[in-house]
Amino acid sequence: MNIAYQGEHLLPGQLGQFFIVLAFGSALFSTISYYFAATSTNKLDTSWLWMGRIGYFLNSISVVGIGTCLFYIIYSNLFEYHYAWEHSSRTLPVYYIISSFWEGQEGSFWLWGFWQAVLGNILIWKAKSWEKPVLTIVALAQTFLASMLLGVDIFGARIGSSPFILLRQALQAPIFSRPEYLSFIKDGNGLNPLLQNYWMVIHPPTLFLGFASMIVPFAYAIAGLWMKRYKEWVQPAISYSLFAVMVLGTGVVMGSLWAYESLNFGGFWAWDPVENAALIPWLTLIGAVHVLIVYKNTGHAYFTATFLTLISFILVLYASFLTRSGILGDTSVHAFTDLGMFWHLVVDVAVFFVIAVTLVILRWKELPISKKEEETYSREFWMFVGAVFLALSCLQLIVVTSIPVWNAMFKTHIAPPTNPVTLYNVFQAGFAVVVTLLAGITQFLKYKKTDATRFFITTGIYFVFSALITGLVVYITGVYHLRFVFVLVMFGATYSLLANTKVLTDAFKGKIKLAGSAVAHIGFGLMMVGALISAGTSKVISQNDTGLDYGVDFAKGNNPRENIMLYKNEPVKMGDYMVTYFADSTKGPNHYFKVDYKRLDANGKITEEFVLKPNSQSNPKMGLVSSPDTKHYLFHDLYTHVSMAPAEDFQTGEDAGHGQENDDANYNPPTTHEIKVGDTIPYRDGSIILVSLNKEAHVQNIPLSANDVAVGAELKIISHGNTYNAEPVFMVKNGSVFDFSRKVDDAGLKLRLSKIIPEKDKVEITVYDQPESKKPYIVMRAIEFPYINFLWTGTIIMIIGFLLSIFRRNKELKSV
Amino acid sequence: MKKSSIFGIVVIAIAIAVIISTYGSSSTYGSFTEAKQTQSDLHVIGYLDKNKELYYDAHKDANYFSFYMKDKKGNESKVVFTGTKPQDFERSEQIVLVGHMSGNEFHASHIQMKCPSKYTQDKVETTEADAKQGSI
Repeated sequence: MNIAYQGEHLLPGQLGQFFIVLAFGSALFSTISYYFAATSTNKLDTSWLWMGRIGYFLNSISVVGIGTCLFYIIYSNLFEYHYAWEHSSRTLPVYYIISSFWEGQEGSFWLWGFWQAVLGNILIWKAKSWEKPVLTIVALAQTFLASMLLGVDIFGARIGSSPFILLRQALQAPIFSRPEYLSFIKDGNGLNPLLQNYWMVIHPPTLFLGFASMIVPFAYAIAGLWMKRYKEWVQPAISYSLFAVMVLGTGVVMGSLWAYESLNFGGFWAWDPVENAALIPWLTLIGAVHVLIVYKNTGHAYFTATFLTLISFILVLYASFLTRSGILGDTSVHAFTDLGMFWHLVVDVAVFFVIAVTLVILRWKELPISKKEEETYSREFWMFVGAVFLALSCLQLIVVTSIPVWNAMFKTHIAPPTNPVTLYNVFQAGFAVVVTLLAGITQFLKYKKTDATRFFITTGIYFVFSALITGLVVYITGVYHLRFVFVLVMFGATYSLLANTKVLTDAFKGKIKLAGSAVAHIGFGLMMVGALISAGTSKVISQNDTGLDYGVDFAKGNNPRENIMLYKNEPVKMGDYMVTYFADSTKGPNHYFKVDYKRLDANGKITEEFVLKPNSQSNPKMGLVSSPDTKHYLFHDLYTHVSMAPAEDFQTGEDAGHGQENDDANYNPPTTHEIKVGDTIPYRDGSIILVSLNKEAHVQNIPLSANDVAVGAELKIISHGNTYNAEPVFMVKNGSVFDFSRKVDDAGLKLRLSKIIPEKDKVEITVYDQPESKKPYIVMRAIEFPYINFLWTGTIIMIIGFLLSIFRRNKELKSV
Repeated sequence: MKKSSIFGIVVIAIAIAVIISTYGSSSTYGSFTEAKQTQSDLHVIGYLDKNKELYYDAHKDANYFSFYMKDKKGNESKVVFTGTKPQDFERSEQIVLVGHMSGNEFHASHIQMKCPSKYTQDKVETTEADAKQGSI
């Protein structure tokens, strides 16, 4: 049955789908053409080469075309498309349309494909004699990426998932049998509020550029094996590997900075499978960079270099299988949901794995593996050891993160560790000790052979200095409370810092070539120091010991109590601070809770005062989503987030439209007080003083005649150090008695001037105070992260180091 | 013995240690009955009993949340979590707890729950809550 649907814009989707098919076809065509170009023996025949190039250009144009169509659909709010409906909404600001563009799996595949297209074009331009074999591999990878977006049914199985699928095709609902269904779909789902953040605009492109650039060293390694140019591929692979680790490293740290600044899990790294998935290929490729350099300089470690380069890209594919196939299911909070591409992703990993393994086996006998052993006192040997340890640390990450994969493979039912964070930390720290120490020690070794005595003397001196500094740092920061392995990491990082600082000073004296690696190592050392101290000695300062007794069983557990209750305008002492939740403000969907921090010295004088504004979004679709606010100091951060706020807080307007009795129900039973001017009424949260009586009080909109009387009681309320004023009014008009109560919401009071007693020269004030349960409050958690700035500055320094190294290697590349 | 062989053995030893430690530290999925028989922490999968009391009162204690959960075998236990009530807990379809039995209460250190997503139709969303700030 065909229904003529009204109001649909089918053209952009059809165009987009056309581009997807074209992207797939042209990439496949390019792969095949490049393959024949690479294997052709006729040097003069360039027709295959040109066909390969044309295919690749066509693919690049198609990828851009797909992006343009998808962007147009989201930008124009064409909610007949599932992707736009699911990830965007009319109210979304334009710059977040970019975020919603790659929020879904299809969008992120596109992003990956886009970067790979860009890199492929650079390679066509730059790779010269390597173009044919290298582009064969890159085009093959591009074919696979395009196939992920196909969304066509072949033999009853859906291949890929297209971003251009219509809403009525994606969902089954009776509404879609109506031709005018679109008129009922007013708006899209909108972007998850946690992703409405500038990090979501810049983090995914960086990360996916990192992933995409991993193909290049892989393609060079394959090309080297395939074309039997076993030695030549190493030099360009070094440059591209450096680029890939720099970008991927930046992307990973960006992700952790994002998590730290605006998500609420209270830290910068949680060993979540999705985080691990990005770290895994980074570790192997950073190992690869080192052994590639070893091979280039000494001819040793050829197999390790090839192996690590090859495995890095396969692990990128494996990581994408982990996060996108839905296999992580129960173990990760933020893996993508299953789009039914499980086997498609498995095939992707398998194809590249088989290509790599087959070529290595076929060429095994010809590989230039050196028969001679490395010298013990040589730089190459210990760099090789370091690279292997990086690979081992990666192995540990893979084995633990893949527990659901082992379960699926061996039909077991193992649960992840109950405390995975500690397990990862201890193991990774162990590997970090070796790696950081080697990053220092190798600086005192030369390639080929080093004089052992001299080496031991210099190393020894630096060891002693590092030990002293480590002792001091560990003592001051309190790292010694942690497991001993973390003290060792501190020692390793310090050692690496000192040794590389020495190299850097030498570099300034003329050996400028060495600056890149020294700077990168210094950055890495600082990152380790920052991560270790801030994660290891972070302190929850909102410890709360005020809860009720819930019985022996509960107390016995020695439970952590990390949340603190703040009633509005009631200061609470928290660590060194006096904190007060004193106001709210709203901006867009965000509800900001203003929390005042005061630091007091021994005499009770305020030495410092600032306001933090952790916020929550009350999103009709998401419920309460909270983001932290952080006070940054040079040497520590104070992180604050709201873990709970009463839902009523989000309803704007104060009891509008409720009757008097209804309103009284919000208060405790009233108390009445007969007082004179100057008297004080004590109440639970402070005191109320009758300052004076105002005989000429006015109440808005009520005109008074000569016979009428209106008296106002000027009241001053002092509560928790704050002063408020209120003037309830008593009125006699046309012989009837009225009184107008006044509310002081911030003090939780309602006050009435309920009677005037002239004979005693007194008045009666009726006080309604709010029970605690009606008072606005927030439940808050605050954590102190010491020295976290070392982590961020270390990252920046490391990136600079990578850049310097890339420049250096590129120079070498041109001179060859 | 060649230096590289020694190093090779060390590497293999570490790799084996990694695998064994992973297996050793891995937990099991169990029931409340099994939790009563062991001291150590384990994972329990189950469903919230929506007919019984879900207790969280920030005014009395901001760090006490209790509820009743039925495990997959149908046994029910009171569960106590030291922290705030996770958002939309009432709507959860499935809960995974990590913790141990203490008397007749199950003390959870980690809660992971699946809720029908309010944000995307027909999808289930997973959220987590920890009682304690992660420490290394």
